[in-house]
Parts: sequence; structure tokens; C-alpha cells
Amino acid sequence: MTADVVSDSLEQPLVPRPHLGRRRRWDWKLVTGAVLIALVLAWILFFARGTSAGAAIDEPGKFVVTLLDGLTLAGLYFIVASGFTLIFGLMRTVNMAHGSLFLLAAYIAVEVQQRMVGKTRNITSDDVDMWSWALPLLIGSAIAAVIGFVIFAVFLRWNHGQELRQALITLAISVILADQILAHAGGLAESMAWPKGVTHFTQIFGQRYATSRLFVLAIALVVGGALWLWLNRTRMGIVIRAGVADEQMVRALGINIGIVFAITFFVGSFLAGMGGVMVASFAGVSTGADGQWLLHSLVVVIIGGLGSIRGAVAGAVLYGMVSAFAPAYLPRDYTYYSIIFTFGLLAIVLAVRPYGLFGRPE
Amino acid sequence: MKRRTARRGTVVASVAVVGLTVGAGAFVADAAHPASTAPTGSAAASGEPIKLGVLAECEGEFGGFNEDVIAGVTLAMINQAGATSNSRTTATEGFSGAVAGGRPIDVVGVGCGDATPDRIIQEVRTLVEQDGAEIVIGPLSGDEAIAVANYAKDHPDVTFIDGIAGSQDPTLAVQAPNYFRFHGDGAQWNAGLGDTVYNDAGWRTVAVIADDYSFAWTSAAGFIADFCAVGGDVVARVFPPLGTTDYSSWVQQLPDPDEVDGYFWAVGGTGTEAALEAFVNSKGDLTGDQHAGNLFFNPSLATALGPDIAGAYIGGFASFPGDVHTPAIDDYKASADAAWDSLVGGTTGGEAAAPSQSASFGFMYGYYTAGLALIQALNAVDGDLSDGHAALRDALSTMTLEAPFGNVTLDENRQGIIDTYVAQLVLDEESGDVVQKTVSIVPQVDQTFGGTFGPDTPPPSRDFPGCETRDLPWSGNEIPVVDGVPQTEGAASGGSAAAGTEAMAPETTAAA
Amino acid sequence: MNETIASSRRTIRTAVVVAAVALLLVMPLIGTDFFVNFALTRTLILGVAASSIVFLSSSVGMVSLAQYLLVGVAGFTIGNCVAESGKGLKLGLNPWLAVVIALAASVLVALVLGAIGSRTTGIYFLMLTLTYAVIGYYVFSQVTSISGFGGITGVDPPGFFHEHPVRIYFGLLVLSVVVYAGLRALRRTPFGLSLEGIRDDPVRMGALGFNVPLHRTLAFTLAGLIAGAAGVFNIWWNGQIDPTSVAIGPTLDLLVVAVIGGIGNLEGAWLGAFVYVVANNYLRSLPLVDHIGITEARFNTVVGALVLLIVVLSPEGLSGIFAGLFDRVSRPRSAPLTPATAGGPAAPPSSTNQQPTSNMEEQQ
Repeated sequence: MTADVVSDSLEQPLVPRPHLGRRRRWDWKLVTGAVLIALVLAWILFFARGTSAGAAIDEPGKFVVTLLDGLTLAGLYFIVASGFTLIFGLMRTVNMAHGSLFLLAAYIAVEVQQRMVGKTRNITSDDVDMWSWALPLLIGSAIAAVIGFVIFAVFLRWNHGQELRQALITLAISVILADQILAHAGGLAESMAWPKGVTHFTQIFGQRYATSRLFVLAIALVVGGALWLWLNRTRMGIVIRAGVADEQMVRALGINIGIVFAITFFVGSFLAGMGGVMVASFAGVSTGADGQWLLHSLVVVIIGGLGSIRGAVAGAVLYGMVSAFAPAYLPRDYTYYSIIFTFGLLAIVLAVRPYGLFGRPE
Repeated sequence: MKRRTARRGTVVASVAVVGLTVGAGAFVADAAHPASTAPTGSAAASGEPIKLGVLAECEGEFGGFNEDVIAGVTLAMINQAGATSNSRTTATEGFSGAVAGGRPIDVVGVGCGDATPDRIIQEVRTLVEQDGAEIVIGPLSGDEAIAVANYAKDHPDVTFIDGIAGSQDPTLAVQAPNYFRFHGDGAQWNAGLGDTVYNDAGWRTVAVIADDYSFAWTSAAGFIADFCAVGGDVVARVFPPLGTTDYSSWVQQLPDPDEVDGYFWAVGGTGTEAALEAFVNSKGDLTGDQHAGNLFFNPSLATALGPDIAGAYIGGFASFPGDVHTPAIDDYKASADAAWDSLVGGTTGGEAAAPSQSASFGFMYGYYTAGLALIQALNAVDGDLSDGHAALRDALSTMTLEAPFGNVTLDENRQGIIDTYVAQLVLDEESGDVVQKTVSIVPQVDQTFGGTFGPDTPPPSRDFPGCETRDLPWSGNEIPVVDGVPQTEGAASGGSAAAGTEAMAPETTAAA
Repeated sequence: MNETIASSRRTIRTAVVVAAVALLLVMPLIGTDFFVNFALTRTLILGVAASSIVFLSSSVGMVSLAQYLLVGVAGFTIGNCVAESGKGLKLGLNPWLAVVIALAASVLVALVLGAIGSRTTGIYFLMLTLTYAVIGYYVFSQVTSISGFGGITGVDPPGFFHEHPVRIYFGLLVLSVVVYAGLRALRRTPFGLSLEGIRDDPVRMGALGFNVPLHRTLAFTLAGLIAGAAGVFNIWWNGQIDPTSVAIGPTLDLLVVAVIGGIGNLEGAWLGAFVYVVANNYLRSLPLVDHIGITEARFNTVVGALVLLIVVLSPEGLSGIFAGLFDRVSRPRSAPLTPATAGGPAAPPSSTNQQPTSNMEEQQ
């Protein structure tokens, strides 16, 4: 898909436009974007004296820490959003039950960890070795994947293409799942304990930093790398990418796209579950976390573009950075509005690229 | 196509029939409901049941405590109105045989809130306007209570007794003449904490970090008013929004441990642990006695943070920590164990456990005191609800409620003047665990904090209250608690500051 | 043949609606106070708000999750304008002036939001409006000067309504009739027809010279006005508003209401609202219901299951079911079974008055 032919607004007919006109349009938006970014950087680097983090040239340590905070938070966002965008990219299904699968996996993993460690309360990281953390992660994510697959097979396989209907179906399922989770888990906050090896501190760029956060980042990189490998170097991944680009052609080539859909939904739900267990370890979860993290996923993919892993990375990084930098670098009286900054980012991206940074209209 | 349409048509026709039946049935059910208009008030005749409604919480962040709060009211009925629970494992099946003031008490409905005001308004309207409740006990959360208090003002024919809501406004600002609260608000619960950290831990400056919503603001307000009253200064106030996942950027706004004497935390839910971990990550290891928190602080923090958290101070709540024993408290807990075999409450993590565990925590206890107050007042007026509950309300306003964790009287806004406590996390050297020990009891805390808060002052918020010195009635009059025993005769049964106060010298280490 | 069916359908539809309105008019005489002042009033409020969703969805092809935010904007505006003490901006204005300002506020917000989203379509538009709703919630949560530290309470309606609460019910009934009749009439105006053209084929409409984004923006603004009107009555009825009023829960509930009733049929908005309110309130009163594990605490499971059933079986919702039933009943036995006259919700649009199938069944 070249930029020349595809129009970026539906009401214009699909004709090639003179190159000159198009370039001028892009330049205006790019220039504004670049100016904004430059202003923000200048503030952070030089002028943020009245804020809690201080200007970066005065306090580089705090800048580094905030940068790392943003990256690690981006890692969490990426893991959760990648499944969402994978499912949408191939199947054009907005899985509103993504957050419920996230929460379900988290509660199940907490339960599994409690049984493995033998205590129901007051589990410390000293009690938990890597296997006692990884196995609950795998079990929780696997159950989420299976339930996701069942949802796909029963409710979504036969109405492929009816996007709104699928969104409403998954919305209804998410309401039912959330209520059942409340009924059985009791609406209480739960958290997973990190394994023993990641609970202390490492020195990074001269700053003391929590190893658990770097662990999150490492896992996110592994997940991203594995996804990239799968989509680009395996046959199934290539079929998926082909299906994203042109589903009819894939069918015409005789490939059973139904199996491809099923596998994609399975993997996407697995990633949702994995995200849930990671967040349960990072900050804990409670009822309401499902809606919250569905929204985080939506923000990431709206910024980055639906259906693009690259977009999920970009969206996660941008979202994570803004979430980390805004409270630290806003003047003290205005830090309450940092959450509005986050959504200001959203509005700006949408104004410039209505389908997200790496997204495409159909 | 035809067959599919026909089959589908049958199914949808059945759904339509069901829907119509539901609608018709609903109409009939509603029409058949008795007393959907205001109660006539002539039901003062002895023997006619009193219609009680309970506002509980079945969804939202407090949804796990539904069982606890219903059990609270039920236990009061069991202990003082002769009722028995209909089930030995849950309170949600109701109770029978409750009689007070010579009249049986019927629960006409249990409202199902989700911690939002809009929903609780719907529930209370159903209870009052459809089910005909004459008395309502509840609600649970602070924002809900403000909405219910406003509703109460518009419905003077119903009497409301608050459950465990911690907002100031329902009594201080709304001042509905039919809204009563026999426990403290969030600020009252933190009275004495500021005084303690100023005098015992030597804090002169403090940084406050609290969730950005009303209950946390109210808790912080109580601490700040207390701390500033005795001369302390608040140097920073940080308010992370609700639902924050990553507290690191917020904690980073706090001054460093060498720049400030202490920190007060009012961050709840999963955030308590996450925020403290973020603190350890960015500011270095904790020294316990540089930290104080509201009721969200508890011994389980030590699992994530290690024994360093020992030494941290904790503000109060409606019931005292488990280490305080008096005959009244022990009897109360034993009565809970006698009433049920087990309860599945939020306090016990969603697992079946001994009912005394739920009874020891403020949610159940708050509703318990509301039930007690109702029964005691009904007995005092022989069940007379005539004349717009005039006698009942007079009794409620003037009586001294005898409750296990301290007697309660009401001020002119029908708000409880309560005893609260200050506790501390200490390292129990025998078991190696960090446990919660009561340090002192703070007697006779009133809602205004000596004039800091009033109907004309702004509600607690990000910048209210400011920081001024003031005389508070309880400063310096705290009653020390040693090994769970208050050091003044009659202290735990509501003794006032007058009875043998001593200079504050609480034990801060465990008996060793 | 089609014309006769179509016009008889139209007549029957109008007759049913008139009968329903007549029944609602006399309900205060035959129903209990609670049923009228609570259940039916709440039905009408949700119905008007949901009608804005249905209008956007069926006429313009845009499914919006931002409507409840606009209901909240009107509510907060009234709260801030009317209160003289307590919380919020405390402007202490005349309540009727506050109504005008509140409607203007929701129109303005709808205009801005609609303009930003006017080039987005389909599922993207749904997600965009969802983020609008979330942003709106956070704005009200964080900017406490306009949301009053956790809500603006104690808001009384103007004296006319305050003296007799049943007047709120009648006011809502009048509003519902005006909105319904107005939206139905709109379909036959040039503006309404062009909206339907944009719904069906925006590229062709653009090629014909219509300014598609402008039309969409105007439609969204009109929907905002309707939602704002519902919001005015909502705060009068409720007496208070707070940030959680516009949180994700009520936002999704409104979509649920529209889906239950039938997101393609205007009558569906009120029908869905009625079923929702009735299920919410009376589920606990049904006998035997707790023997199958359903208590009022599990209301959400029931509603979720109901929505699932409806979306899976009959995307036209309950109103589509009734329309389908009518079709089967009214089809003369001798008429051949052509696609145009086949009963049931799968029937493609055959006349201007038959509600077109919703977007759910079309490729986006």
C-alpha cells in the first residue's frame, strides 16, 4: 500500500493526487509534530526547574529513572495490547472481552501460586522461586487462551466480517465474565509475588533501579521478539500477515483461514492472560482492572494503529512515556492533570493520523 | 432460508413472550407491593412490624463486603432483639424473630450498591418508595452517604442510620434531621495520629500522599488537622489518581527521607503495597517510624516490604485491632461465633472463616452499631414511630449507645463523638512476624476537630485543610494501651478523658 | 404490493406508538407512585438518551458510546449553575436559564467531539467514542472545581417540577414524544435523506458533492442535543451528579439498552430502556429466581446474557422481534414468499419506512 494512492479520508474519491500537494500536507503535520516534541524536550531538559524531577541537565539521574519507568510501563502495556491488536489485525474483531481474560488469568495465577507455595496470605518473594511464578503464569495464560478460543469458536466464527456485531457479542461476554469473576473471587484485590531472584536492585546508568521492573521489560522484549519471529519467520506467521493484507486471496489460495483465525485468537488471548499475570505481579489487580486494562489496550492501539505489532510497540512506548513523564515533569500544582495529558496525546495522534501511527484504513 | 427464518422466528417469538411476561409481571408485582407511598405513621400500634431496609454493597470495589455488612445488622438483631439467623453459614438469607420496643422487625429489602451515588439513590428509592421501609441502615461508602443524606433531607418520614460511610458531609454539611451516624468519619478515625508522631516519633515536618478522591482526602484531612494543631508542618501533598498502576512518578514527587521527618499514606486497594514498593525503589529502604498510614496500613505490608516497615504508625477505624481485649469486646466476638458457624466475608479474603474475624473489622462493626442504636432507641420509646418518628429520633439523638468498642454519643448534627485509636506495626520477636499493636486510645473525638471543620468550611480536598495550630480536646489526653489493655479504668467502654489521664508514654516495642 | 405492506406497516407502527403513549399518559392513575416516578421515569430518561444512540446508528451508521458523557455534561452544567453553596462553581443562576446553558454546553461539546471524529467510521468510531467517554470521566474526576469534589449534590429541579414530582414524568413523556416524532420526521427531510445516503455509501455521496464530515458532525451535534435534554431531566430526577455517573459502567449500560431494544429501530430505545429498568428492579421479586442461582447481585450476568442472546439471535433487538412477528401475522397467505415480504429480522430493506438492517449485518 503506497501512500500515493490510498486516501486518508473517505469522502475523497480514490484517485492519485499530485505529489506536490500531498507532500505539502504531510509537511504541515510533521512540522507541527516536530515543534511540539522539541518544545516538550526543551521543557524537560532545561526549564523544568519548578517540578519535582527538576530539569534534566540539573538532575540527570531522575531523568534516567523516569525514562526507565516509562519503558518498563510500556513493556506492560505492550504485552497486554499486542494480543488485542493481533486479533483485530487479522480478524477485524474488537475483542471487548480482552480485559476479562486478562483479569481471569490473573486471579487463576494467584490461586495457583497460593497452592504451590502452600500459603493463602502473606506470601513473600522469598517463598517464591522462578518456577512458582512461571507456572502460574503459564497456567493462567493457557486458561485464558482456551476460553478465548471457545469464545471465538462458539460466538465469532460464524459472523466474521460483522465487526459491530462481534464487538457487541464480546462486550456482552465481558459483562458476564466480569460478574462471574466478582461472584467467585469476591471482589478483593489480589497480587502475585515476584520470584526471589528479581526482587532486589541493580545499578543501571548509575542509578539504583528495581530489578523487577527490568524483568518486566525483559519479558516484554522477549514477547515482542517472539511475536516478530513468529509473524516473519514461520509459515503460520506469514499466512497471518497475508491474511491481514488480503484475506480473500488467502482463502483463494486454499488455505484454511478458519484454523488461522483460531490460532490467532488463541495466541491473542494467551497474551492477554500473560499481561494479567504480569500486572498482578507488578501492581496487583482487583475487579475493575479488566475495564481499566481494556482501555489501556485501546489507547495503545488507537495511538499505534490497529492490527500492527509495530504500532503496538510505538503506542505502548508513547503511552508509557507520557504516563511516566507527566507527573514528574509538570509543575507541582498541575500534576493532577497528568492523566489529561495522556489523553491529550491521544487527541493529537488522532488529529494527525486518524487510524493511528501505523494503522491503515481497510 | 425459509426454515432458518422460521426457526429463528420461533426462538425470537419465545423471547418476546418471555419479555412481555416479565414486563407484565413486573407491573403486577409492583402494583401488588404494599405501602408504596409514605408510611402513614399510624403504625405505632404495638405488634405491627417495623419495616427495615438495609443498604449493602454487592458490586464495585466494596462488593466483597456484602456479607459483612448484612451480618453486622443481623448480629445486632441476634444479640439484642432476640433474632436468629436463617442460615448458619451466611447472613444473606435473613433473620427472623427480631423484636424491639415490643414490635417485630422485618427487613423489607436489601439494597445492592456499587459504591456509586447514582446507584445507591436508585436502591434507597426502591427500599423507601417501593418496599416501604421506615428505617434504613446504611450505606457503606462515603460518596454514597452524601447522596443518601440528601435524599433523607427530602424524605423526612424515614429515619436513616449510617452504616460505615467515612465522608464528613452527610452530617457536617447536609445536616438532615433524620440522618444519624454512630461511628466516626474518615478524619475522626485519624485523630491522635498526628499528635503521636509529633510527640513520640519527633516528626516536625510531614509529606502527605493520598489517593485523589474524597475518602483519602478526608483521612489526610484528619491527620493534617491533628499534626498541624500541635505544631507540625506539611511540606508536600501528592495525590495519585485512582487506578494508578505505576506509582513511581508520584512517589518521586515526595521529598527524600533526609528532607522530611515523616510520610503519611492514604493510598488504598492494591495501591498501598504498590506505592510503598515504588517508594522503596526510588527513595531507598524504609525506616518504619518515618511512616504513618490510615487504616489501609496493615501487617500484610510486611510481606512485600520486609520487616523494615515495623515501627510505622497506623490510624484508626471503627473497631479496634485484635490485641485490645475487654470483656465487652470479647463477648461481642464470641457472640458472632455463636451466631454462625462460618461467614464468607471480604474481611476474610472471600473464604469461609470464623465470624469473629469479620466482626473484628469496621465494616461489620459499623453496621452492628447502627443496628444496636436502632434497637436501643426502639426499646426506649416502646416502638413508637408516630408523629414522624419524633420520639425515636429524640431517643437516638440523646442516648448513649453502649457498644463493645466504646460508647458513642451524638453531637448536634447527629454525628457520633467517638473513641478512636492509634496503632503501630511492631516486630513480634517470638514469631518474627510484624503485627499490629494498639498504642493508645484517643477519647471523645468530635467531627469538627475543635473548629477546623464546619458546615461553612470547604470539604476536605487537595488543599484543605491548611496548616494551623489549634487546641484539640484530645491532644495530650490519649489513653495509653499496654499489651492490649488500656491503662485507665473503664477506658475501652467509653471512658472520657476525665478519668485518670496520664502523661503519654505508650509502649512502642513489643513485650520482650 | 410492497407499497401497501409498507404503508400499513407505517400505520400500525404509528398506532402502536400512539397507544403506548396513551397508556403512559394514564399510568399515574392506574400505576403505583413508585412505578411511575421511578421505573417509568427512569425508562423515559434512558429511552431519550438511547434514542440518540439509535438515531446515530440507524440513520447515520455511527455507533456512539459518548452519549452518556453528553448526558453528564448537561447534568454537571446544571449542577454548577444552580447551586448557590456547597460544591461546584456555585453560580446560583435561575434554573430555567441553567437549562439553556446546559443544552448549549452539550451541543458545544458534541460539536467539538463530532468534528474530531467526523472522518472516522465503523468500529474505529465506536472505539473513538469510547475513549471520549473515558477522557470525559477523567476530566470530571480530576478537575474538581467543576465536579465538586466527588459530585454535586442537593440539586433541586425548578419549582414547577419540584412541587409535584410526577410533572417530571409528564415532562419526560412530552420530551420523548417530541424527540421520537422529530427524529421520524427528520428521516423524510433532505438532511435526513442525505444522512442515510452517507450511511449507505459515503464515497458516492462525497463524489456527489455532499460534505460528508460536516453532515456527520451535525448529526452528532443533534444527538448531543437530545442526550443533553435527557441529562437535564436526569439531574432533576436524581438530585445529584458525580464523576462516576459518566464512568464506563453507565456508558456501556446505555449501549446495552439500545441493543436490547434494537439498535436499528427508534422505538427500540424506549423498549430497551423499559426492559432494562424492569429487569434491574424486579428481578429480585420474581419467584423462584434465586433457586437457579440468580440474585439481584447477579443482575449483570442476566443482562449480559440477555444482550448476548439478542445480538446472536436477533440483532434487531426486541423491537425487531415485534416487527418480525407483525410481518408474519400480516402477510396474506396467498402472497408469494418474495425476499421483500419475508418476515423476520433478516429481511432486507424494501421500503423507506421499514427500518434498515443495522450495520451489524453489513460488511464495514
